[in-house]
Amino acid sequence: MTTTNERSREFSTVSVETQLVPRQRRFHVPVALVLKVLSVLAFLALWSAATEFGWVSPIFLPSPASVASQAGKLMSTGDLWASVLASSRRVFLGFALAGAVAVPLGIVMGVWWPAKAIVDPFISLLRPLPSITWIPLSILWLGIGESQKTAIVFMGSWIYILLYTLESTKRVDPILIRAARNLGASDLAIMREVILPGALPGILAGLKVTMAISWSCVISAEMVAAQNGLGALIWFAKDWGNLPLVLVGMVGISLTVLVADALAERIEWLLLPWERHRRG
Amino acid sequence: MATILTADHVTKEFPGARGRGLLAVRDVCLDVAESEFLCLLGASGCGKTTLLNIFAGFIQPSAGRVLLQGKPITGIEPRCGMVFQSYALFPWKTVRGNVEFGLKMKGVPPAERRQIADRFIDMVKLRGFEDRYPTELSGGMQQRVTLARILAADPEVLLMDEPFAALDAMTRQVMQEELLRIHEQSRKTTVFITHNIDEALILADRIVVLSARPGRVKAIVENDLPRPRHVAIQLTPQYSAFKAKVWQYVEEEVQKHVEADRPSTA
Repeated sequence: MTTTNERSREFSTVSVETQLVPRQRRFHVPVALVLKVLSVLAFLALWSAATEFGWVSPIFLPSPASVASQAGKLMSTGDLWASVLASSRRVFLGFALAGAVAVPLGIVMGVWWPAKAIVDPFISLLRPLPSITWIPLSILWLGIGESQKTAIVFMGSWIYILLYTLESTKRVDPILIRAARNLGASDLAIMREVILPGALPGILAGLKVTMAISWSCVISAEMVAAQNGLGALIWFAKDWGNLPLVLVGMVGISLTVLVADALAERIEWLLLPWERHRRG
Repeated sequence: MATILTADHVTKEFPGARGRGLLAVRDVCLDVAESEFLCLLGASGCGKTTLLNIFAGFIQPSAGRVLLQGKPITGIEPRCGMVFQSYALFPWKTVRGNVEFGLKMKGVPPAERRQIADRFIDMVKLRGFEDRYPTELSGGMQQRVTLARILAADPEVLLMDEPFAALDAMTRQVMQEELLRIHEQSRKTTVFITHNIDEALILADRIVVLSARPGRVKAIVENDLPRPRHVAIQLTPQYSAFKAKVWQYVEEEVQKHVEADRPSTA
């Protein structure tokens, strides 16, 4: 601390701007972090007070402490991890399948208009359907096993991935395509060297957004018909009248999606080296 | 000197609303000599970019034709390398990746590619920035990369579409100086578009003054200012006298252009 003060005194002859800018930056992140922590603590305090002083009946809202102890119990038995794992597997399978179908299809539609014309009507018809509307049909066709959950995730995800991919492919700057041709690039080289890398940031952004949607699909599918997974956990807890367990399940979903998001962020960072300095 | 690029009665009309086409270029005839530095000088909207895009084969003329070494240009022509005003660098490729691009497309093996690219990166004074991405560089540096990229691809003709227009005045001057140096080294045939008289005077061997829309060749002026040139030539009386002469041709056209753009109050 002293050194910092001495330093700033030492540099006080330097123009004010050059000093202020790094200083603000140095304090910017911690202050924001402190605010975030305080905001969460204040919320927890308010929640505790509400249950502690009987402002809200425990029938409607359990105390944070009871939720925490429920979470602890569930973690020690391993049931929480099993639920997280079961849901994650379904999301991963359905999402990967959706990506494997929708990304190539979206690129083809972006560069070749007949493909777009052929697929467009189906997109228009399917897009307004929430993924849960597929639950009756999927149960009829696939039963209530894993493939049915995967199918629900797939049906809820692929169109979004497709639309993001299509849009990103079409948005590749035509000047870059022109420049590549001017430098002697063939059609295949344009695809490999210009369109794919040009569309990649948009495709990845779309995948990230869609992953959260995939999670909401799996939870609704599990609530309707499943033996395990976070959605089933919440649904059973409701039936048992175990409100703290319902909240544990909900927090579990939030945290799992946050972890998945952080992973996706990391993958994006690895795949887009040219955008790193902009993201910081 | 031998003619390398010829515009033979080139006319370009763009389809417009209600069947009224926009005539961008009308009946342009032009011979570009090998190794010369030719400036197309004209006010904005005079069709100079259209003409350059026709030379590159990006668009086809409505009438007339363009010949490169005696053969008509019918599609995008890699032997006419374009330097875009907006740089058009590939953001996902490093400086080296961008400069190597044309060589890669020609199938030059990686080791040789790298060697050639490094030579041109040196030429535009970007050594030390080989592994940077374009967005990490300033505008002037990005334009140097574009220049190196096109020079490494080694086209027969260099087409430059107001390449320095987006740069600040000082950077622009430095880039003009660099281009003078590079052209005097390589003697690569160059067609350079500008609306800036000084730029044309400093760089060109010949200046083609284009008329207001539709673009036509209004005058072709030989630039006798001595070479090797330096931007400081702007301070000489010889330069001022020459500038006055070119300005005469340009002024009329600028007036016309201003009047044409004024909304009619009939």
